[in-house]
Amino acid sequence: MKRAKIISAVIMGGLLSIATGHASSIKIGFNVPLTGFAAADGTSALNGAELAVEQANAAGGINGDTIELIVYDDQASPKEAVPIAQKLIEKDEVVAAISGSYSGSTRAAAGIFQEAGVPYISAYAVHPDITRAGNYVFRTSFVGEVQGRAGAKLIGETLGAKRVVVITLKNDFGKSLAAGLKESASDYGITIVSEYEYGIKDRQFGPIVSKVKSDQPDAIYASGYFFTAGPLVSQLRAAGITVPIIGQEGYDSQKFIDIAGAAAEGTIITTSLNRDSESSETKDFIREFERKTGNKADMVAASAHTAVKVIVAAMRKVGATDKVALRNAIADTSVVAATGTISFNALGEVLKDVQVQIVKDGHWHEHSVISDSKLLAPPNQ
Amino acid sequence: MLYLELFIQGFVQGSIYALIALGLTLVYGLLRILHVAHAALFTLGGYIGVIVTNATGSFTLAMVVAMLVVGFAGMLMYKLAYEPLLSKPPYVSLIASIALFIAAEEIFRIAFGPYGLSYQTPPLQGQIELFSDFYLKYAEILVMGLSVVLLSALAWLSMRTRTGVAWRATVTDPDMARAFGVKIQNVRYLNFFIGSSFAAAAGVLVALLNNLVEPTMGSVPSYKALAIIVLGGLGSIRGTLIAALLLGILESFGTIYIGHLLGRDAIAFAFLILVLMVRPQGLMGGKL
Repeated sequence: MKRAKIISAVIMGGLLSIATGHASSIKIGFNVPLTGFAAADGTSALNGAELAVEQANAAGGINGDTIELIVYDDQASPKEAVPIAQKLIEKDEVVAAISGSYSGSTRAAAGIFQEAGVPYISAYAVHPDITRAGNYVFRTSFVGEVQGRAGAKLIGETLGAKRVVVITLKNDFGKSLAAGLKESASDYGITIVSEYEYGIKDRQFGPIVSKVKSDQPDAIYASGYFFTAGPLVSQLRAAGITVPIIGQEGYDSQKFIDIAGAAAEGTIITTSLNRDSESSETKDFIREFERKTGNKADMVAASAHTAVKVIVAAMRKVGATDKVALRNAIADTSVVAATGTISFNALGEVLKDVQVQIVKDGHWHEHSVISDSKLLAPPNQ
Repeated sequence: MLYLELFIQGFVQGSIYALIALGLTLVYGLLRILHVAHAALFTLGGYIGVIVTNATGSFTLAMVVAMLVVGFAGMLMYKLAYEPLLSKPPYVSLIASIALFIAAEEIFRIAFGPYGLSYQTPPLQGQIELFSDFYLKYAEILVMGLSVVLLSALAWLSMRTRTGVAWRATVTDPDMARAFGVKIQNVRYLNFFIGSSFAAAAGVLVALLNNLVEPTMGSVPSYKALAIIVLGGLGSIRGTLIAALLLGILESFGTIYIGHLLGRDAIAFAFLILVLMVRPQGLMGGKL
C-alpha cells in the first residue's frame, strides 16, 4: 500500500514536470509601483501591460510559446528597483524587461539591465539619463524636455498666449518639462512672467493661486500628476482665473476630471494617447482596456501596453532566445501601437507625434496633434 | 492686498494643522507617546467623509459619522496597540505607532483602491467675496470656523467641567489623580476619542478642499504634526495652536517668496530648527 503510494507520487511528479516543462513560457520582467504614493499609476500600467500580454497570447504568443509577465512592486523607489532588476535577471531569467514605474526607480534599474545585456524599455518614465545607461535601454514615451518644447509651441503658436506663468512640480518630471518649455519659449514669443514650485505631496495651493492671480498671465503651464493637478486646477478656477491651463501626460487620467470636476473643462494637455484616434490599434486598446478593468484608459496604461507590444513584435521577428538579436530587432522597431507609430533613434528614444487633448463635457478629447520632427527631436546621445 | 490673501490662506492651512496636531499633543501630554499613527486616523476620517457624503448626500451626517467612528477607532488603537506597551520605554510605542501608520496606508489602498476617492458633487463650493476680487470658498470658511468651534469646546471642557479637571489632574500627576478617585483609564479613552475625532474632522475638511482622499494623504501630517508639537513645546495645547497657525502662515509666504530655494516642508523644518536653537523647550514649553 505504502509502496503503491510512493510509486504513484513519483509518477504524478514526473507527469507534472513534463507538463510544466512542455508549456514553456517566455518571461518578460515588469517593475511597477503597486504600493506607496505611485500605486495608482502603477496599477494602471500593470493593467495595460497585462492586456497586451493577453492579446499577444491569444494571437498565438511567440511562435506557439506563451508570454508570461513577471511582476514586482518597486514602490517607485530606486532602492527597491535595484534588487528587483537583479532578481528578474538572475532568478527569473527574463528575456527582456519593462519599467512601468517613475524615473527614479527606472534609472536605477536601467544600468543593471544594460550590464546584463537584457533589453529594457521605459514605458513612461521621463528622465533623459535613463536611455543613456546604454544601447539595451529604450523608451516608448517622450523625454520631459521634448514634451516641454511641444508645450511651448502649443501655447505660443496654437493658443497665441505670450505671458505665461509656470507652476512646476519639483521632481525630475516637472523640472525637465519646465526646462523644455523655457528652451523653446522665445522661439514662440513667450515671456515667462514668473515660476513657482511645489512638492509632490502638496494638495493645497492657496498661496500660489493668489500670486498667480496678481501676475495676470495669458496662460498657465503647470506640471503635475492627476492627484496634484486635480486640486491645483480646481483651486485656480475657484479663484476666478479663467486663462488656459496647459498640462502634460501626468494629468492624463479620468481621475483628473473626477477630482477637478467642472473646473477641469477646457484644460489642455500634451500626451501620448489620443481618445478620438482613428487608428484601429488605439480604438481597440481603449475599448479592450475598459472592458478588462472597468476604468477609462489613460496614458500610463497605453504606454505600458505599447512597450509590451514593441517587445512582442521584436520577438516575433527574431525569437526569444538570442538577446543580442532581440536588442537589434527592438532598435529597428516600426510598430503601430496604442500611442502611435513607434520607432527609435540611435539613443533608443521614441520618435512619434505629440497628442494634444482637451477636457470637453467631462472627457478627454482630441485638440490637435504636434508633429514637428525638428521640434520634437529627442536627444541623440 | 496680496499679503492679506497669503495671510488668510496661511490661516486656513494653519487651522487644519491645529486640528491634526491637537490630538498628538493630547496623547503626548498624557502618555508621553509620539502618536505617528494619528495621521492614519486623519486619513480614515477623510475616507469616511467622502463615502458617507456620496452615499447619503449629507455632508453634515458624514462629518458626524467620521468624528464618531474615528474617535472610537482611536480608542481601539490605544487599547490594542499602546496600552500593552505602556510599561515599555517610549521608543517601543513609537515603533509600534510607525508600523501602524504604514500598515494603515496599505489597508486604505487595498480597501478603497489606489486611485483615491472624490466627492461626486462636492458640497460647500459656493464662495463669498471677502474683499475686492478675493474669494473664499464656503469650505475654507468652514475649516476656520470649525477649528475655532471645536477648539473652544475643548477649552470649555477642560476648564469648566469635572471631566476636564480630572483630565488636567491626570496630565499633571497621574498617581495623585488616581489617589483622588480619577479613573485614569477613562481619561485616556476620552483623550484618544477627542484627539482622533478632531483629526477626523480635519480629514473630512482636507478631503473637501482637495476633493481627493488618497491612501497616502496622511504622510505629510504624520511628520509635520510632530514638528508642530515640538515647536509649540511638547504637550502644551496653547503652544500647539500657536505653532500650527504660525507655520501655516509662514508656509504660505514661504511658498511664494523662497519656494524656489526651500520647499514647503523644508521651510517648516528650517523654522523648527531656528526656534529650537533659541528656545529648546519650544514656543510655550516649560523650562527643560
